[in-house]
Amino acid sequence: MKILVPAKRVPDTDQKIEVCEDHSGIETGHLPFVVNPFDAIALEEAIRIREDRVDAEIVAVSVGDLEYEEQLRTALAMGADRAIRVDCIESLDPWNTACVLKALVEQESPDLVLMGKQAVDGDCNQTGQFLAAMLDWPQATFASRIKCLEDKLLVDRETDAGIETVELPFPAVITVDLRLNEPRYASLPGIMKAKKKEIAEISMGDLGVQNAEKMHTVSVRSAKTARKRVMVSSSCELAEKLRESLKST
Amino acid sequence: MERGLLSAAQVDPVLTREVFGNVSKTSQLIFYLLAAAAVLCFAIGVYRRVRLWQLGAKPAGKSASCKALGRKLGDILFQRRMINRSKINLAHRLLFVGFGILFIGTVLIAIEHVLADLLGREPTDPLFHKGLYFALYEVTLDLFGLAMIVGCCVFMARRWKADSSIDRYPADWVVLWAFLLIGITGYVTEGLRIIQAQTPLPGWSFVGYGIASLFQALDMSQSAATEVHIAAWWFHAVLALAFIAAFPYTRLMHSIAGVLNLMHDAENLGEMQLVTLEELEETGRIGVSAIDHFDRSRLIQLDACVSCGRCEDACPAFEAGKPLSPRTVVQDLRTHLNVVGPGILATTKDAKDPSDGDSVDIHGDTISAETLWSCTTCGACADICPLGVTPLGMITDMRRHLVGEGQLRGAPATSLQKTQRSGNPWGLPANDRFAWAADIEVPTVKDNPEFEYLYWVGCAAAYDRRIQNVARSVVKLLRYADVSFAVLGAEEKCTGESARRMGDEFLFQELAAANIDTFKKYRVRKIVAHCPHCVNSFLQDYPQLGGNYEVIHHSQLLDLLVETGRLPVSTADKQGKVVYHDPCYLARANEVTEAPRRVIAAAHFEKDESRLTELPRNRRHTSCCGGGGGRMWFDDSPGNRSGNGRIDEILNSCAETVAVSCPFCMVMVSDGVAASTSQESVQVRDVAEILVDSIDLDSLPGSSSS
Ligand code: SF4
Ligand code: SF4
Repeated sequence: MKILVPAKRVPDTDQKIEVCEDHSGIETGHLPFVVNPFDAIALEEAIRIREDRVDAEIVAVSVGDLEYEEQLRTALAMGADRAIRVDCIESLDPWNTACVLKALVEQESPDLVLMGKQAVDGDCNQTGQFLAAMLDWPQATFASRIKCLEDKLLVDRETDAGIETVELPFPAVITVDLRLNEPRYASLPGIMKAKKKEIAEISMGDLGVQNAEKMHTVSVRSAKTARKRVMVSSSCELAEKLRESLKST
Repeated sequence: MERGLLSAAQVDPVLTREVFGNVSKTSQLIFYLLAAAAVLCFAIGVYRRVRLWQLGAKPAGKSASCKALGRKLGDILFQRRMINRSKINLAHRLLFVGFGILFIGTVLIAIEHVLADLLGREPTDPLFHKGLYFALYEVTLDLFGLAMIVGCCVFMARRWKADSSIDRYPADWVVLWAFLLIGITGYVTEGLRIIQAQTPLPGWSFVGYGIASLFQALDMSQSAATEVHIAAWWFHAVLALAFIAAFPYTRLMHSIAGVLNLMHDAENLGEMQLVTLEELEETGRIGVSAIDHFDRSRLIQLDACVSCGRCEDACPAFEAGKPLSPRTVVQDLRTHLNVVGPGILATTKDAKDPSDGDSVDIHGDTISAETLWSCTTCGACADICPLGVTPLGMITDMRRHLVGEGQLRGAPATSLQKTQRSGNPWGLPANDRFAWAADIEVPTVKDNPEFEYLYWVGCAAAYDRRIQNVARSVVKLLRYADVSFAVLGAEEKCTGESARRMGDEFLFQELAAANIDTFKKYRVRKIVAHCPHCVNSFLQDYPQLGGNYEVIHHSQLLDLLVETGRLPVSTADKQGKVVYHDPCYLARANEVTEAPRRVIAAAHFEKDESRLTELPRNRRHTSCCGGGGGRMWFDDSPGNRSGNGRIDEILNSCAETVAVSCPFCMVMVSDGVAASTSQESVQVRDVAEILVDSIDLDSLPGSSSS
């Protein structure tokens, strides 16, 4: 069994994000980058599946420039068996990312693509769905529990109405939600050991894909959050304030 | 029997006795053969343990000074490391010294016998075993024999009563009975010898003389005594030899392993062993996942542990019902060593390459991850252990493996991740690190490049609102006292202390290297910090990476400033009871206990420290708040925290204020008090906050009352 896990490089969500002066994007100079937290959850799940089924191979993939190797190293340190970086200096929109992933899937022919439901930078929540549609594979989105059986997958999905359980045959695409698991921590020795594992590099051309932009960024602005903060000195006062604000709405 | 015992002196005026008197030459020969066999058995036993110890790599040797060696020797001879449990300590001292003196006495006799034989002297004409020496020898040995028997009886009584604090092996009874019988048969043999040999002045051997008198009162004849004597002598001799032979196979082995361990320069409290990148690359592993990954000193410690449970009594995690007992950790590892050790030895012998040995993972079945993560690294176990065993060191060794293998999950894992990215465990933006000082005047290293003290603010004060007030108080006091100081501002990074104690050695080294570079850049020599964890890290961790500084805790500097009059405290006597909670890393690891007390006393009690209320466990024997060793970052439900026992202690003191001197204690104690159902409530304040209140800050030179 082969599991493909896309891992996107995103800015650390803990940091203060500032928009560039020309509004073309965000300032990244001081920002630490991480594996998209949802992708990390997907990878953790893949590792857990492998812990049950010894024969599974986990391939972490990324579409981006050389800096993306940092995240692939982390993925390898967490437990991916090997990694592939599709070299690309532009930032792709979800459609084009899905195109690249589709080409990769055709090359690697995995049984399962396990990925985050969205990346925390763009918050698009589209790539997984696009990919499944392009491959014409069954998909389960927002997974909060995955049961990997011999010939099928049972997935609990978090929906607004509650938990829905779906059954999928292989091969399939699953996008994961926050509550699926707690990813493990890749420490420095782990990352160092992961240096022995291979990160293959492929160009978009090799895969026969071209970036055909569907989405164009016009400008980036920071949202004005006007938070009103009040310090209260006691819980009674807090209750009073809450009551007032409820009344006024 | 007509003849009085003392009249024997007239027959033979030389005060002595015949060594091996009443024992035929053949018997003597048999005895020496048996003795040789016993010593051989002893040696084999010790050798087998030594072989097991050698499974561990030789620890990096530190050269100890003569003074340190002397102190350690004193610790052993006077058994100074035994504290608390006064009754059993006394019993152990009696047994130890009693057995020791009897052993030395026996060796002296053997020397006498062999020397006299070599010099061809008559058995009745000893070399030195006579006269005044003999008299003193007899009285001393009789006295210490009694000490041994009394000590032994106390141990037997305790073992007899169901005392759950001690662990039991059947062999322990054998050992105790052996001690007792050796003592008793020794006296009986002596008594019979007095009747049989009619030695002069038998009153010197007062116990034996008593027994002899008793036998005589029972009408024992000299000839009867002669016969019984040889039987008793053999009984005593065989027992003693069997004891020697069995020694290394019983818990008595603790005396050999214990002495080795105590004499070896183990880590200080608060210190950890460094792992270098080269070592990692060479061995391909970090931390301990199999018994033979421990270094030799740790394996010796496994044999030194007598399972007395003192560490368990002191352990805050055990107290809180966590799945951790330091005693069990050590004992389980020891059992594991006994089970798998010989196998590893056999395979390594074949393979000729130590790394080829078949080692078995200790994680999971032997030591569970929950056990390892429950430790607050408070050091109480290592401090209290009479044999210098460091369960804490073993725990952190094993944690390193878990972290290296990515087996840490959840909130604590996130804190490490955040420390890695943002340089603080909260994961707050690095460039917000100096935001706490936005509204007050704080000199940075750029404003005041000629500073004397670097004030190390630390992550907690930089990001936690409650702790920010501590930093503000410290700044106010330092400015008032006109201390030349500066802060690093946003250039500070986490010391890495917490990461290191959680087992993430290289994250620590990365952070430490960055901080050391910054210190170099600003020519830092003296550091003052309000966090004992940072202080300990600068004192014990950083020198391992080449960072040597003069480091003091803020309470020490404040104490000095009050002492020298640079911080004139208003003498107004404040009402209210104050207790002080000692932080582990200040009081235990670095023995700073009085400075914070003096600061509180100056602020509150007109410098009268005796008016400060003490908690039952105080100073070096303080009990952990539960926040150390990374526990701060674990999501414990309030009822389930290590340190709850301490919170109860604080609340039971009925104090109005509990003074702390550590940001972790501040957070844990505040949370604990808030979560407690007790009616008592108590204010949690740092010593600096307490001091700042008793100083008229309006007179701060050049300040607009901040
Ligand atoms: S480690 Fe020390 S204190 Fe703990 S049980 Fe063993 S001997 Fe006793
Ligand atoms: S260091 Fe403290 S918490 Fe850890 S085992 Fe020892 S006594 Fe228990």
